[in-house]
Amino acid sequence: MALPLPPGLTPAEVAFLCEMEQVTVMPRQTLEGLDLLGGSIPPLDPRRRAVLPLWLALLLKRQRRANIIPPPWLNPHSLKAVLDDETKNDERFSPPPRLPPVAPDTTTIFSPPFLPSSTADAAPDALPYHWLELGEMLLEAAEDDFEDPESVRRYLRDLREVRLSKVRRGTDQLVAAGSISLTGAGGMEIAEGRSFITGVIDGLRKISASREQQRRDREREEGEGGYPGTADDDEDDEMEMQ
Amino acid sequence: MDISDLLASVVAPPTPSHQRLSDLQSLTRSFVAERTCPELLPYPSALLDRVLEAIREQIETIEEHAGDADPRTNFRMIILQTELERVRFLVRGLVRGRIAKIDAHPLHILNLYTTSQPTLLSPSEHKYLTTHQALLSSHFSASFLSQFPAALQRLDDTTGGVSMVDKPDEDRAVFVRCLRDVGQVYVEGTGTRFEMRRGDVSVVRWSAIRAWVLGGDVELI
Repeated sequence: MALPLPPGLTPAEVAFLCEMEQVTVMPRQTLEGLDLLGGSIPPLDPRRRAVLPLWLALLLKRQRRANIIPPPWLNPHSLKAVLDDETKNDERFSPPPRLPPVAPDTTTIFSPPFLPSSTADAAPDALPYHWLELGEMLLEAAEDDFEDPESVRRYLRDLREVRLSKVRRGTDQLVAAGSISLTGAGGMEIAEGRSFITGVIDGLRKISASREQQRRDREREEGEGGYPGTADDDEDDEMEMQ
Repeated sequence: MDISDLLASVVAPPTPSHQRLSDLQSLTRSFVAERTCPELLPYPSALLDRVLEAIREQIETIEEHAGDADPRTNFRMIILQTELERVRFLVRGLVRGRIAKIDAHPLHILNLYTTSQPTLLSPSEHKYLTTHQALLSSHFSASFLSQFPAALQRLDDTTGGVSMVDKPDEDRAVFVRCLRDVGQVYVEGTGTRFEMRRGDVSVVRWSAIRAWVLGGDVELI
């Protein structure tokens, strides 16, 4: 009964989460509005575009009841621009789409897959969190809705390789520093690298556990205020260790 | 439409649909968090009550229309059912992930629950934990523990500086996304300080970021 899976999400689970992304469809027949558990969906009318969750859009598409309009970042021009940016900037991922501001009194802050980052009005110049999964799924189920599916596929593959090499190169930073930044990384890329990255960080942490404990004790003695002066000493220690 | 209908439409929450979407967002977030976090998180009882109630209502709607021969209604029911299964998958994954953690560290969790965190377990999880643990310890003592010297029979011995009670590794690295600017995060013992702004994704120790995750400013991914 208990879940036998190790911590972290499996690729299938990431794809499942991605299916909750919102996409724009062009209905080919009418359908009355529906009250779903995740909110109601509007009545579908062949004359008007509608925004639906991806799983529903794929269902309609498979039954030829709707066409999916690919998001603007998923066309060869945008992908090429992002790819150029990725190759030019070695040390970071291309920035994620800009986020809507949050009012201070909001109780639930929305995050991917619940942001409209893959609808027809999404930003054309940034890859959203579920870019790889969404691109693959659309290419598989709705290839005929793309103008040029082959080059989209090719760019997606190139992007994936460029970014994968960044994740791998990032292992240099994986010293027991306590944190690394992966801003812009996609859901599938994180799922892929998770066990390796956490394994390295946790392993290094265990190796340096005693040194860390000393430092922690010293910080406690000195209190929060005494911290900056000790930073240099520790860098020296690390040099000696290597 | 009379005056009470008008009043009802004004008083009613503006968008029940929005509430449902935000529940789905919270449920998804809890599911992901429980799958990626090293320790058990508090049981989201209000959220799950709402979601389970909505699931029950949805099942009723589907049952009412189950016999409909009209292909149009039929297709609508297929959509409802597909979505129902998706939400149930999330709930199931969340609950099963929690049971796996309860099984892994039963005494530690029971201890936390009774001493400091009464919201950690749902009533049925608590019952499962205590019953399972009672069965286990009576089995152990019947099969071998009773033949040990009395001083060595405990399952939660802490003498000798080593605790028998297993704990999850709270310093394990987790992947997080920042939802609200939280300012500086300080990782104790390493001297690492870094700034977290809305939208940032980092890998950081669970112990360093726990407070913000529980406060809802940062989410696990």
